[in-house]
Amino acid sequence: MDENNLVKMTLTVNGEEVSMMAKGGRRLLDFLRDDLHLTGSKEGCGEGECGSCTVLLDGHSVLSCLTPMERAIGRSVVTIEGVGSPTNLHPVQAALLDEGGVQCGMCTPGMVISAIDLLQRNPDPTVEEIIEGISGNLCRCTGYKKIIFGIQHAAEELRSSGRTGMVKEATR
Amino acid sequence: MKLRGIGVGAMMYGLGYGYARPDFSATDIELAPDGTVTIWNGASELGQGLTTLLCQLVAQELGIPYEDTFIISADTGRTPDAGPVSASRSTYVQGNSAIKACRDLKGPLSELAGELLKVDPDRLIYKDGLVQDQEDPNRSISFHNLAGEMHKRGRRVRGSGYHNITTADVDPETSQGDAYASYAWASQLAEVEVDTEMGLVTVLRLASATDAGKAINPKMVEGQIEGGAVQGLGFALMEEMKVEQGEFKNAKLSTYLIPTAADVPMVEPLIVEVFDPTGPYGAKGVAEPATIPTAPTIFNAITNATGKRVRSTPASPERVLRLLGKLEEEEEETQLTFEDMPYPEP
Amino acid sequence: MTGDKQALQKEKLIVGTPQTLRETDFDPVGKSVVRKDVIPKVTGKAIYAGDLHMPGMLIGKVLLSAQPHALIKGIDISAAAAVPGVKAVLTAQDIPGENVFGIAIPDQQVLADRKVRFIGEPVAVVAAEDAFAAEQAVSKIRVEYEPLPAVFNPIDGLKPGAPLVHEKGNILYHTKVRKGNIEKGFDEASVIVENIYRTAGQDHAPIEPEAGFSWIDAEGVLNVFTSTQYAFRDRRQIAVVLNLPMNRVRVANMTMGGGFGRKDDVTTEILVALLAWKTGRPVRLVYTRHEAMLTQTHRHPTYVRVRTGANKEGRLTAMEGVIYGDTGAYSSLGIFVIKKMALHLGGPYYYPNYKSDSFSVYTNNPIYGPFRGFGVLQAAVSHEGQIDELAEKLGMDPLEFRLKNCLRPGLSFSTGQVMTEACGIGATLERLQQYMVENGLSFERPQEVSA
Repeated sequence: MDENNLVKMTLTVNGEEVSMMAKGGRRLLDFLRDDLHLTGSKEGCGEGECGSCTVLLDGHSVLSCLTPMERAIGRSVVTIEGVGSPTNLHPVQAALLDEGGVQCGMCTPGMVISAIDLLQRNPDPTVEEIIEGISGNLCRCTGYKKIIFGIQHAAEELRSSGRTGMVKEATR
Repeated sequence: MKLRGIGVGAMMYGLGYGYARPDFSATDIELAPDGTVTIWNGASELGQGLTTLLCQLVAQELGIPYEDTFIISADTGRTPDAGPVSASRSTYVQGNSAIKACRDLKGPLSELAGELLKVDPDRLIYKDGLVQDQEDPNRSISFHNLAGEMHKRGRRVRGSGYHNITTADVDPETSQGDAYASYAWASQLAEVEVDTEMGLVTVLRLASATDAGKAINPKMVEGQIEGGAVQGLGFALMEEMKVEQGEFKNAKLSTYLIPTAADVPMVEPLIVEVFDPTGPYGAKGVAEPATIPTAPTIFNAITNATGKRVRSTPASPERVLRLLGKLEEEEEETQLTFEDMPYPEP
Repeated sequence: MTGDKQALQKEKLIVGTPQTLRETDFDPVGKSVVRKDVIPKVTGKAIYAGDLHMPGMLIGKVLLSAQPHALIKGIDISAAAAVPGVKAVLTAQDIPGENVFGIAIPDQQVLADRKVRFIGEPVAVVAAEDAFAAEQAVSKIRVEYEPLPAVFNPIDGLKPGAPLVHEKGNILYHTKVRKGNIEKGFDEASVIVENIYRTAGQDHAPIEPEAGFSWIDAEGVLNVFTSTQYAFRDRRQIAVVLNLPMNRVRVANMTMGGGFGRKDDVTTEILVALLAWKTGRPVRLVYTRHEAMLTQTHRHPTYVRVRTGANKEGRLTAMEGVIYGDTGAYSSLGIFVIKKMALHLGGPYYYPNYKSDSFSVYTNNPIYGPFRGFGVLQAAVSHEGQIDELAEKLGMDPLEFRLKNCLRPGLSFSTGQVMTEACGIGATLERLQQYMVENGLSFERPQEVSA
């Protein structure tokens, strides 16, 4: 760390190596949004209440607004931009879209990441387990029902095609 | 002890602004040589699905695939002014303006199609990607061929629609008059369980019968109904701005709690369709109707369960325990008396 | 022609996208087609106002009033302006045009001048090279306040001698609804219930806090990209404050993270435009959740006294009510929210005699404005409480009682407006009756369940 508080950020983001000097002492969310211009992760509250900033860190969901950026050094981060593309959606994305689980879309990136985290751990969740899995992600538009059903359908789709929820495998 | 109860609640809602407030919308559409259509409308997509709805209406009017429509919205540099997105007016006002834009474009379209098919333009209908003589379906031209011909011949390929429901004002002394252009309707039913030791109210069931007039996109209507009921549930049971000496004390999402997935039932949308001849395809607004009856519906269910009436929001555990006589001190608001709130003179 | 149609369908087939998009449909009304806006949203590509950036962009930050009601005796910006990276520290005196805006009436200051009226009112606004400098600068602005007596409740606000929030007095608007003969109506009633209802303030809490982005383009047009429910009204209001012709201001709505009424008002738009105009640089202003909750509008808290009568046949004969609505320090849409509440206080029922008054009252509380339900939601808490209680007193089924009294085509609303064939309340109530049968539900059953 030099006098400008620069740190060397070496990590993997959405499968690509990143190595750059960046102003330290900030949140992972700021590094992703302001330095890498990955603005898919959203800030809804800045205090870990809404879940809109959820990303995967070494495969596990974390709230990037509560994670110091330095904690990601040497690790792998997956944001919504690394999950699926418009022509190759992850089953969770496709199911949310099909089911009608997306309205304003502000909670959607965090919701998708939390759902992927859940389905990696538990490929066949009950409705109660889905509710628990997304209870840290606030949505003010949908009333949650169509999100819950969407995740249930995504789980069915993944199981029937013998895939896991892992980002790389699911969108293959 | 746990007590269960059922309650109902209902509402009506004047659509749009009323009272002579400007209540209009404008939409422009343009036909490209390949038959695709671009729509410009100044109204905002908030997440409710308005852009999708306008594309559906345009596709339906012109008989073209929904996928062939594209919309540019809410930009003073590009779109016509369509009025605000509020008062559950968008389907009703902005929707009607989009339909009128299509009808405006159909003028020159039918004129050319009539010339090409040697048919009276008034007999032409637009469906299944074709412009067709309704009396002789074999006389038809595909919409996208017609679009190409329009461009080749330099015909007008742009349509504009303007819809205005601005009402006269009501009487200032009595508020008598036709206040709104139309009204929306909804009723809800809730089943609750009240934990009389903890004061906690759990909503086990919430069914929402909402009159959409005509559900242009049923899944989006359901989305409005489900989300609206959950906002209403938050208002009923959890949400309260604690304002002391002018200071909003709980102005954070960690202290001002809104419903999570764990706090809500699977809302059951019951779409009712009472045709409104003034709405697009009979449609009415549903956004606000979906949230208005929820709180009193839940309160009436609490009464059905406990015999006690909730007359202040929210029915938090503390307030419920107080209603059940399990907390000693009274609330400040309950000390309000009729004398504090006299009815004004006739 | 069938071939043409098939060819057209083939052209339009979309591959690799979800089920509902795979088939071309010429007849989409009444069908749940996939929304136009969702693929960018599920993939994180949708651009919200707070996602925008440009080379040379500055970060905006606002200083909010810490006092509910106070005179501003002085503002010292010198320490703030000296923070490295700070490009502008603006107060009321820096406004080129008129320091005023308002969605219904122009009663609100863009930046507080001489007096603050609520905790959360913008007092100064800063632009700096990064968020850290902007935050530091805001913390170094010194405002000298002289506190004034304040009023925090609409009922107190109407009392003689109450502190005045605005010079014109605390009553923003008084609505009167008069239909039929209220005394006669109550004379005909055999059951009358009378109660006080109170509804609390509610925050919209859209998941996206308010955000705006502004820059001046090559033609000198001031651009504001934002999250708004009405770009055209924002443009009108920005132009007045910046003293610009309206056609030299452009406002565009980005992908929006929910509004629910909150973003019908001006939010960040004027402040971010002011910063861009003064600095000549692109500026982004995104409220934190806490700032947004302090400075933006909320649902009106209301206090209602109402009495409702029905005759022994179970028909409503009269309703009389008075509403006190707390609109906070500025009007926003407080005139019309509380007016609409007076008209809708009786709910979807027919009253031959109806009298209501509503007072929209200024206080030194946060601003209350439009929120999904717009006064009618608060009214429903009263009318559905009253109706349920009347049904109970008359020994009638709550749904039957509502069906007996609900508006029908040909009957009139509180304003005398006669309902048309589109009147759907009966149909929704009947749908609930059917639902109760389908699900074996009854209002009369054992209430206690095992713990």
